[in-house]
Amino acid sequence: MLLFTALNWHTLFFLIFALFACFFAFCVLVTSNIVRMAFYLTLALGATAGLFMLAGAHFVGAMQLMIYVGGTLVLLVFGVMLTAQDSFVRMSTRGGDWVLAVAVGVSLLALLVVAAIYLPQGEFHADAQAKIPADVANQTTSLGLALLSTRPDKLVATNETLAAGMSGYLLPFEIVSVHLLVVLIGAAYLARARRHAPPPS
Amino acid sequence: MVPSEWLPRLLGIAVLLPLVAFVVNVLVGPALKKYAAYLSTLMICLAFVCSMTALVLAWLPYHDPAPAGHGDSEPHAAATSMIIPVADQPQHAHQEIAAYTGYWYRLGQFGSLHLDIGYYIDSLAVCMFCMVTLIASCIHFYSIGYMHDEESEYTDHEVTLSDGSYLTRPGRFPRFFQYLSLFCFSMLGLVISGNIAMTFVFWELVGICSYFLIGFYVERPSASTAANKAFIVNRVGDFGMIIGLMVIWSTLGTFNFGDITKDEPGIFSLVRPAEHQHELIVPAKMVQEAASEKVAEIVQHSESLETALSEIDACTDDWRKEGYGYWLMIVAGLGIFCGCVGKSAQFPLQTWLPDAMEGPTPVSALVHSATMVAAGVFLVGRFFPVFVPEVLLVIAVVGCITLFMAATIAITATDIKRVLAYSTISQLGYMMLALGVGGWMAGMLHLFTHAFFKSLLFMCSGSVIHGVHTNEMTEMGGLRKKMPVTAYTMLIGCLAISGAGIPFLIGFSGYYSKDAILEQVFSFWRYQPENAGWGALFFLVAAGSAGITAFYMFRLWFMTFAGAPRDQERYDHAHESPKVMYIPLIILSIFAVGVAWNFFDVSLTNLLEQARPLGTAASVQGEIVQQWWPDEHLAHQEKIVFPVTLIAFGTAVTGFLLAMLFYGLRVLNAQEVQQQFHMVYRFLLNKWWFDELYDFLWVRPTLLISRLVTGIDRRWIDGLIDGLADCTKRFSQWGDRWVDQGVVDGFANLIARWTFNTGLSLRRVQTGQLRQYVMFIALGTVAIFILISLFWSRTLAG
Amino acid sequence: MSLFEPVGVTHYLIVGAVMFVIGAICMATKRNALGILMGIELVLNGANINFVAFGSQYLRTETLGLDGQLVALFVIVLAAAEAAVALAIALNFYNNHATIDVDRADELKG
Repeated sequence: MLLFTALNWHTLFFLIFALFACFFAFCVLVTSNIVRMAFYLTLALGATAGLFMLAGAHFVGAMQLMIYVGGTLVLLVFGVMLTAQDSFVRMSTRGGDWVLAVAVGVSLLALLVVAAIYLPQGEFHADAQAKIPADVANQTTSLGLALLSTRPDKLVATNETLAAGMSGYLLPFEIVSVHLLVVLIGAAYLARARRHAPPPS
Repeated sequence: MVPSEWLPRLLGIAVLLPLVAFVVNVLVGPALKKYAAYLSTLMICLAFVCSMTALVLAWLPYHDPAPAGHGDSEPHAAATSMIIPVADQPQHAHQEIAAYTGYWYRLGQFGSLHLDIGYYIDSLAVCMFCMVTLIASCIHFYSIGYMHDEESEYTDHEVTLSDGSYLTRPGRFPRFFQYLSLFCFSMLGLVISGNIAMTFVFWELVGICSYFLIGFYVERPSASTAANKAFIVNRVGDFGMIIGLMVIWSTLGTFNFGDITKDEPGIFSLVRPAEHQHELIVPAKMVQEAASEKVAEIVQHSESLETALSEIDACTDDWRKEGYGYWLMIVAGLGIFCGCVGKSAQFPLQTWLPDAMEGPTPVSALVHSATMVAAGVFLVGRFFPVFVPEVLLVIAVVGCITLFMAATIAITATDIKRVLAYSTISQLGYMMLALGVGGWMAGMLHLFTHAFFKSLLFMCSGSVIHGVHTNEMTEMGGLRKKMPVTAYTMLIGCLAISGAGIPFLIGFSGYYSKDAILEQVFSFWRYQPENAGWGALFFLVAAGSAGITAFYMFRLWFMTFAGAPRDQERYDHAHESPKVMYIPLIILSIFAVGVAWNFFDVSLTNLLEQARPLGTAASVQGEIVQQWWPDEHLAHQEKIVFPVTLIAFGTAVTGFLLAMLFYGLRVLNAQEVQQQFHMVYRFLLNKWWFDELYDFLWVRPTLLISRLVTGIDRRWIDGLIDGLADCTKRFSQWGDRWVDQGVVDGFANLIARWTFNTGLSLRRVQTGQLRQYVMFIALGTVAIFILISLFWSRTLAG
Repeated sequence: MSLFEPVGVTHYLIVGAVMFVIGAICMATKRNALGILMGIELVLNGANINFVAFGSQYLRTETLGLDGQLVALFVIVLAAAEAAVALAIALNFYNNHATIDVDRADELKG
């Protein structure tokens, strides 16, 4: 019971989600079946959404679930299904490629981990989480306002350098909107069936 | 006006005004068109005003031109015709010469020698300024009329092109006045210059102006040849002048005429020191230079430099008595005189002046009669105190030969300008003769009177040429009805040059100057204690030539203006010149008549007497030649003046009557005389064969040598150069084959091959394999990270 | 690390690094074009984790503020767009070559 109260729940859940995400990502890597890969990916991304929420980014986590897990992966699954002929479901890679890729990957990982560990941890109070007002609803509002060029978080920022800076994301927001439209049209154009078109003379 | 302040200012301005006109005309002359002429004329008139101001306001009030009065007093010893020892001469010690010397600008200082733009102003210079600017002003006005054709496009009827037509070229009106202005500047600078180096510079400047002006019609072969001839002949004379300059420079160490300060004695006071009663002695420096062996001996044997110097000073007088340095004086004098021979067209360098008549007539009037050629006489007059008796004798001989030769040639010449040219040479010979026999005043006076009447004569002849468009007197005649002003002004000129006048009473200007010359020559003859041959020869030639002068001048006048016209067509087209041309004639004729007259003691003679070099008013005897140069004042005695005046008058009248008989009344036929003496006639017509002689002596050998040298050049030097070129060509072919094609091309090809091979091996990297690209990206990231972590430092980050 | 201590930024970064590297290896080894696409998704997610971690107030007092979350949002949106286009390309490739093996697509070989 003592252990139970001393336990930092936040850390516990972080561990669970982190292991989940890493494990299923690893599964994506090692399986050669494309259908299973899609499934593992869903799980890995879902666990990541959990990590987001643990970091306090509730809205982003929700979006991760909705857009990624709900939208993008469905798209991928469609792709898998459209191309899932027998010969393509399992495609193995040569051992040499594997060794090379893992060697490069591990060195990159070592690099990144070293960089992460040597990162200055910064000022941190154990009771920080308690001090933070739990204004979850407000956070979404803040994000929305930031996209519309108002930054409520800048008003309370103590650090001078961080207090300055960009005022908002209205223009990128607009660009992304148009971008999505272009992608919609472009994808439809690219993917349209051409097999029934008459061969060029 | 204080003369020492105002004379340099006024005359300096007078020198610079024509230079201003020249510079403006050079820069914008063609744009000014005929205003260029007005500018030049205005400037020379202003210069005349400056000169007259200098004479009337700055000179005359401070220097009373009182009559010298020497002629009246009978020198005590002269009456007995005895040799007067030099020491017993009337002493003119402690006299001060009225000359202002100084400098405007010091060009450079080389040890003890100063090279200045300096001035030496005495009454001679002031009078020269007035004379030159007056004549030049008249000639500028005259030229505006005479050169009228040049204002627009000009067709030269003496230049025929290959297609048979006449040359047509743009007019050179501004250019003519540009040259005239440059000439006036140079001439005035020559007159005012305060040292012999500056004189030499302006000497050459007038020479080059003469060259430009003779060759003004450069398209005519005769004109360009004449210009070259004048220039080259003058170089011969100037070569001698440079030798003279070198002697003066190396022995006297100064170029200045007068003493600028007490510490800087000029040439004159070195040669005629005041403590020596201004008597001509060889300067100490010249003696030491000549006795350099003895000087070296003394320096070797003496203990210190001071004792050596004092010993040398002590010995100098002895050496001078032994005759050391005298030859240097002779060389210096002859060298300077050599330049004057070239410039004043004396024998044997006289041949250029008649050919110089190819220039426009105003040029002949200004440059080749009145001023530039008189510059030689002027320089002899300036340098008169430096000439030792031996040099004077040479001058007299040269002048004598010249005056006779030129006078005889003038008899047969038919070109109106050539007659005048030979007359000029002859008159310059008179001046030289006068100077050579010690008549400084006579020579200078004749320089002035001659300048007026000869420029008048030339301008009259120009007026005639302008009217009838020919130079040949054989095509003229009877023109006095057509152009009366020209005819009668020219008559005045002829009378002046012949020395017409009522004996012992009054006369034209030439009467005074020519009689003065003859008197001095006569005096030179009569006072000669022994060996009077030179003097007799000089006098006979001079007096005879006076008659010849009258003869050829009236021959000219009668042939041109009197009798019936020889060429009716030319006569019909003849016309009087415009006003701008004949008014200068009238002005000059007034001066030709009266320039030597005495107005209340102000006369040219008295003025010039103030400029007489110190110590020259004394009799001297030569050291080498046994001749006696009598004091010029001795020539004013009654026993000299009386016979000479009558002889001069008689010869002149004889010459006039002969001319009258031959050409005026045409009683005697000149043709018959020519046939009778046809050998003499040919000799004279061919100008004593001087041109042919020089052609044979100098021109042909020069051409021969040059042809020889050309042959050497062609055969040997060209061969050598061709061989060198061939070697170079072979060497470069070898270089091309081995160095260029082998090394350079090989190197370039090697780099190209390397690049190609590198590209070939690198293209394998471009596999097209998507997964490999991903590997590359990852590898690259890792590599960059490692590199950064290895080389990262705070200092780099700043 | 211990279960009794709060997590820091480093932990998140390590998780992100692991996912990033796995995604990269995935891209390098999968022959199926859709497998590569999945690798890309993993890489993007790994990066996204970093953004969120730096923007989180729970992990450090000094944060990026809202910027972290906003960039993460943009990444998600762009990933969706990218997935759509990539899928279209993959289908087109499949239509033209009758295969989904990227090793066969080497027309751009040098």
